[in-house]
Amino acid sequence: MSFNHIVIQNILRDKWTYISYFLSSVFSILVFFFFLITAFHPMMDAIDPHSSLGITMILCSIIIYTFSFVFIIYSMLAFLKKKTKSLGVFIISGASTKQVQKMVFRENMLIAIAAIITAIVVGVIVSPLFLMVVKNVLEADSFGMYVPVQAIAMTFILFSVLFLIVSKITTRFIKKEKAVRLLKADVTQEKLILPTPWRLLLSILVSAALLLPFKFSPDIIDSLGIVYFIILFISLLMTIYIVLTQGIWFTIRILQKSSAYYRKTNMLFVSNLQAKGNSHAHVIYLLSILLVAVFVTTSVLYSSYYNVKENTEAVYPYSFQYISLPDNPLEKEQQDIEFMETTLEQTVGNFDAYQSAFKTDEDRRIGFMSNANFNALGTHQAITLNDNEYYVVAGNEGIIPNTDAIQDYVDDTLQYVGLEERMILSTGFRAVYYIIPDAIYEAINYPEYHVFAYELEDWTEKRDLAEKIESQIMTEPGESYVASKISLYADELFVKRILFFIGFMLSLIFLSAAMSILYFYLQTSLAGEKEKYLGIRKIGLSMKEISVIVTRELAILIFVPFTIATILLFIVLFSIRDSLSPAFFQMTTVGVGIILLLFTLSFFIIRKAYLIKLVE
Amino acid sequence: MSDMILSVQQLHKEYVGEVNYKALKGIDFQLKRNEFVSVMGPSGSGKTTFLNCISTIDRLTNGSITINQNNPYELNDEGLAKFRRSELGFVFQDFNLVHTLTVEENILLPLTLDVVNAKEMKSRLAEVVEFLGIEEIMKKRTFEISGGQKQRVAIARAVIHQPSLLLADEPTGNLDSKAANSVMTLFQSIHETFQTSLLMVTHDPYVASFAERVIFMQDGMLYNEIQRGDHKQQFYQEIVDTLTFLGGGYHEL
Repeated sequence: MSFNHIVIQNILRDKWTYISYFLSSVFSILVFFFFLITAFHPMMDAIDPHSSLGITMILCSIIIYTFSFVFIIYSMLAFLKKKTKSLGVFIISGASTKQVQKMVFRENMLIAIAAIITAIVVGVIVSPLFLMVVKNVLEADSFGMYVPVQAIAMTFILFSVLFLIVSKITTRFIKKEKAVRLLKADVTQEKLILPTPWRLLLSILVSAALLLPFKFSPDIIDSLGIVYFIILFISLLMTIYIVLTQGIWFTIRILQKSSAYYRKTNMLFVSNLQAKGNSHAHVIYLLSILLVAVFVTTSVLYSSYYNVKENTEAVYPYSFQYISLPDNPLEKEQQDIEFMETTLEQTVGNFDAYQSAFKTDEDRRIGFMSNANFNALGTHQAITLNDNEYYVVAGNEGIIPNTDAIQDYVDDTLQYVGLEERMILSTGFRAVYYIIPDAIYEAINYPEYHVFAYELEDWTEKRDLAEKIESQIMTEPGESYVASKISLYADELFVKRILFFIGFMLSLIFLSAAMSILYFYLQTSLAGEKEKYLGIRKIGLSMKEISVIVTRELAILIFVPFTIATILLFIVLFSIRDSLSPAFFQMTTVGVGIILLLFTLSFFIIRKAYLIKLVE
Repeated sequence: MSDMILSVQQLHKEYVGEVNYKALKGIDFQLKRNEFVSVMGPSGSGKTTFLNCISTIDRLTNGSITINQNNPYELNDEGLAKFRRSELGFVFQDFNLVHTLTVEENILLPLTLDVVNAKEMKSRLAEVVEFLGIEEIMKKRTFEISGGQKQRVAIARAVIHQPSLLLADEPTGNLDSKAANSVMTLFQSIHETFQTSLLMVTHDPYVASFAERVIFMQDGMLYNEIQRGDHKQQFYQEIVDTLTFLGGGYHEL
């Protein structure tokens, strides 16, 4: 019997211990692989790696890889913990720690290679279906099938390296004494949660102190930069953990003091909770954090996806906007306008056309518009200015402009009457527009730009039209500027869809990690629980009573993290409520509701499976 | 009221698997109210299976069992659980204590499951605890006490609800001879004080000699039985002689 023979037999004879580890490895590799298939798609070449989307893609693959790294370490440690006792048998029969480490390392690498190959094979088989889904989600027809050589190679190399490192590291955790002690003691008692009021107070105070600058002095945050956020993040994570464990301690305490403690299965349930308090707390904590990650990624990315139309309209108010500069030859201008209008007439027939003009100080990027010209643009309420009044319109979306600069251009001081923050022309073209009485406008001596704007109904559907017009009429720097919210919307939508898709993949990873952590935990505790309930059943505990206890325990493991995550999500959303629309809150509630439904469903499935396993 | 607490008729138990195995081949047995009987026999003779069938842990294949005029096999799971914790008391070789509970909570377990009111719980607890002399360890956890103490706690749990039949499976199997002796003395005094009927499986002739009657099993059948006379020493000798005759690992005695 060679060493490798033992390794293989270990795996084959104890396959259920290995299979959960194998499956969670396969899953995280698979998600990474799919992500790479998307990222390496020939169509993605169009995305500039230096654009925000390109950076997001790179960042996400790093996040997914890092997360896989952490998650695989976690699974491996959970798996080792489960195996420690059987390793003790090897140690006691005379294997050196080094030999055991070697054995575990080989086992891990064998599973790792099997997992990588399985994941890639499954990935390649499913990839046409996956790409089809992506194609529909992104509404990109060019997202066809291809042979993902690059993705295969990269997944294989990256995960081989990852497993090699993780196996090397984790096998160092095998401790001889611990394994032997586990073997000898039939009952191992984990440490109970102890009350730590000072630590609780301190952690809450530190986190609160770190959160204060958000409200009172944002300058500090700016000056500290990323360091501040890392410290805040760690502090919050620790606070949540301490609050959670102390909360569990307090709940157990209350339950034990209650008069119902000695009634029916309460005693068994509560004492179980107490004995496993620490490991329960770990699982609940990990699940909560992962769920918060799921909630935040989906809702933040959804929120960006949600307002695309409004955001596009806010920066580009017109379906088509043509600004003609003085250097633009008049024939060219007429030709362009004619082409646009005929094309529009032929395709949609019904459209609104606006003509306007403004003068501009090119150096200061200030625009001057007469009252009449302003009213000629159809998107705003008409205004009437008196002779000594002026009105200000912002030129950049989201930036409040200087409202006084007009005084430098007029002889008599004018009266400021109001500010329009919404764009009248595409954002960023000018820094600010001053709307002035017609007579004063005439007197201003700056070149005049002509504006032609067109607005269509159901403009989001008119992408072909936009393409047709933009293929003929292009921006000529110094002569004419063309802008269309239709094509901007299409571009934005594509970017947002990719972002949403990435967010979806990320939350899928987090969610599956949460599920496998729960699965590992239940798997690991199953043997002990089985023995315990078998013993109590002999004394006289019915299946119904076991089911009551198990139901409550699983409900705690599943719904407490859910509740914590939901509360944290709504705290976050509430604190940034000013930048969110109420509709977004509604959507988030619906989203959380859907996840709750999924959780409830999986709760019942897990409960049933667990009960069957428990008494089989 | 019948004076038979337990009546077993033509009990058959067959394990069905790749190889069918007949563990019990028709046993007739009766246990009188307030009687203390030991079951002995070589390994594989079916004595534990016999006890498990009575205790409803194993399902029987054929025959009937009546405990205190009830047929537990007619009950559903819930009824059976209730029956076990009201009519039967169990003492196991491995103690079978719940590790997450304290000693006190372990003893109270059958009462909490049956929702006994707090006052009665307290008085019953005080009674058994005093009887068994385990006041000192009530707040301890099960892994903080010795084997002998564990078995006392298990006995306390088995009798706190005043069962009509106490079943013990090798109760001294995991104990040293000193602890075994004190546990057996305890069984005897429980039997005398509370008038509890007792059925105990053991392979130890000394332990068996505490009973009033010993039945011997071999190959899934009842083989012989001996009544205790006036002298315990003589009873013990008779048990050893029967076992030697039966063989199966008792030759050395």
